Amino acid sequence: MDMKRMRMAPLLIALLCISPIAAEQSLDTRIQDLRQEILHLNRELFMLEEDLLFPANTQVAVFLSMDVGEFFALDSVELKLNDRVVTRYLYTPREVDALLRGGVQQLYLGNLRSGSHELVAVFTGKGPHDRDYRRATSLNFEKGIGAQFVELKISDRVSRQQPEFLVREWD
Amino acid sequence: MLQMPAWAQELAAGEVRDLHFGEALFHFYQDDYFTSLSRLLIAREAGRIIHHKDDAELLAGGLYLQFGMHDEAERAFRQLLDESSDPALHDRVWFQLGRAHYRQGKHEAALTALERVEGHLPAYAAAEMPLLQAQGNMALGRYAAAARLLEDWQGPTDWLPYMRYNLGVALIRSGDDGRGIEQLEALGRQPARNDEDKALRDRANLALGYTWLQQSDPERALEVLQRVRLEGVSANRALLGVGWAKTALDDHAGALLPWRTLWTRDRLDGAVQESLLAVPYALARLNADSEAVSAYQNALEAFDAEIRRLDAAMSAAQAGELVDALLVADDPERARWHWQLEELPLAPESRYLHALIARHGFQEGLGHYRDLLALGRHLDAWHERLETFGHLVEAQVLAAQQRAPVVDGRLAVIDTGALVARRDALAARLDAIAEGRDVVGLASDEELEFWKLLEELEAGPALAAAPEEARERHRLLKGHLLWQMDRDYGYRLWQQQRALAELDEQLAKVEPRLQRVLEIRADRPQELEALAERIDALSPRIDLLKDRVALARTEQAGQLHAMAMTWLKEQRQRLLAYQVQAHFALATLYDRAATAAQPSPVAEPGS
Repeated sequence: MDMKRMRMAPLLIALLCISPIAAEQSLDTRIQDLRQEILHLNRELFMLEEDLLFPANTQVAVFLSMDVGEFFALDSVELKLNDRVVTRYLYTPREVDALLRGGVQQLYLGNLRSGSHELVAVFTGKGPHDRDYRRATSLNFEKGIGAQFVELKISDRVSRQQPEFLVREWD
Repeated sequence: MLQMPAWAQELAAGEVRDLHFGEALFHFYQDDYFTSLSRLLIAREAGRIIHHKDDAELLAGGLYLQFGMHDEAERAFRQLLDESSDPALHDRVWFQLGRAHYRQGKHEAALTALERVEGHLPAYAAAEMPLLQAQGNMALGRYAAAARLLEDWQGPTDWLPYMRYNLGVALIRSGDDGRGIEQLEALGRQPARNDEDKALRDRANLALGYTWLQQSDPERALEVLQRVRLEGVSANRALLGVGWAKTALDDHAGALLPWRTLWTRDRLDGAVQESLLAVPYALARLNADSEAVSAYQNALEAFDAEIRRLDAAMSAAQAGELVDALLVADDPERARWHWQLEELPLAPESRYLHALIARHGFQEGLGHYRDLLALGRHLDAWHERLETFGHLVEAQVLAAQQRAPVVDGRLAVIDTGALVARRDALAARLDAIAEGRDVVGLASDEELEFWKLLEELEAGPALAAAPEEARERHRLLKGHLLWQMDRDYGYRLWQQQRALAELDEQLAKVEPRLQRVLEIRADRPQELEALAERIDALSPRIDLLKDRVALARTEQAGQLHAMAMTWLKEQRQRLLAYQVQAHFALATLYDRAATAAQPSPVAEPGS
């Protein structure tokens, strides 16, 4: 037996030992593996989608977050970019609850060329004393080469017993 | 043994400092674990989670668990333990690992993991941990250890009934009947705030009643069993128990009432089936032989009818579609973790599956099947989107090819060198004007035209020959124009210098912008090609995974079907055994009637 064959022998034995085990994998394990592979695939597909439809140099994403929510119950948000309505979103109680627990919603994902832009968000809901409440907030921002993230934050201003609507750019 | 109510973890106490981590939480809090995990993995890969790295790992581990990916969850948790030295984080990880093992039925591993917790857990977990440890110990038959843990337990008051029930069971099974009964007794008398509490109270009274029956104390058994509500999951067994307690007190007529009540209920229930034999047994004990014979014949007919239904159900199940029929009432949008098959469809076979479906193994399998259906739909959706992406890239390639000559034409006429040279000439001219205070150099077009005219007149012979008045007029006009240009010189110089600075600013942007356009022009075809390659590579993976998901779903359906068939056969066997008992009892009664002998004992049902 030459050296190459001698080296191959343990490998073949190892493979023979492995294959029956692999074949006998339980359905549960195989389903776990499938989920894992689909999650990986899902990640790659989302990244492909982003690279294709929202490349980093033009990407702009607007997020919405809330804290406390004592003075404002959110119903809907209308978002305008450069005076054009890009999204109108009506919230379910489940979504509002997720926001109040610390979740952050990606409200809009789109493309903008570099330069100056204006964002206006109009919030509708119930304000203090259960009154209809509608407030707007705006931001003028400079879109650079990289992706641009903007956060709309609804916060309670305890001192004035009023909600506060903030907007800020993220690096 | 009871499970605690659904556990809710507050992962991000305080401000969320990474938007994309917050986004994963947004989906997590809506029980959309697949999207949450996908978003989390993408954000992590893209380096968008900076401040919540540990929280993100912990969330990922928890999500893997929720998604039934126990091995992956354990890997994520182990990695956190290796990478962090924060004792609070270690405790949370060991706790999660413990829960993961417990859910998988790995009770020893669960207890080992939970033992590693060192007292830094948040309040909700600190309260849940001893309950988890007690459940693990009970599953391993270590009832005394479970009881010790539960006796020391402190936590939210709404968990107290669960704790008390488990403590009662643990104490009784560990041999400490006295204290166990005390716990169940306390729970059995406790006012209930809601349906869940009422059901638990019934369960405690039922457990207590059967404990008293086992201890041959029918009076006490009767007292507690009569506390159980007449409707509810414990009602049938309680009614059966009441009958046996009365039988033990020789009140056979009294036993007939609860047992006959059971006759009107679903014949599928074990307690109802037993009552079919118990009623004639009580009648025989009352020497009402002819009524007993009639009741045994009724029972035999009922068993026959039930066996025929079971046979029909098994035939229907054999024809397939069992699992799909079970999922007719399912809402695919609901998260897996909270998913229970609450409303069974009215298929003939599904009527028999209540008890089977309540079992953990079947639920788990059905959950897998449901997940596989969802994953299949997910892959189908991506398959379609990927086709669209392919068309999009093709369209972009075509558009880029069509635009290329136009873009190239435009780029060819852009000469930044010439632009810079023109700017330099302008700057030199402005410098010269400033250096020599050349006020005419900054004259307006109108002024310059007028100035040239005056100069030409001065240089020509006509002015010299003109009368003195005309020469004086020329001198005045020239002087006035010069004065005017001199007056405006400072402002005009500042204006020109500012315009030059603006020009410099614009020129500074031209070169990098041009470079970017050239780069995009050069790189775009390769980028599009790379995107097309990614699409081409992903497409067969989707197809392959779709096949594997379909295969796994078929296998899972097969397993569920086999479980269902085994269970249906077990039901049939039990009914056959009851039939044998009924025939035997009937034979005894016929024999007694035929020989007109003294009353002899009739075999007790279930013996």
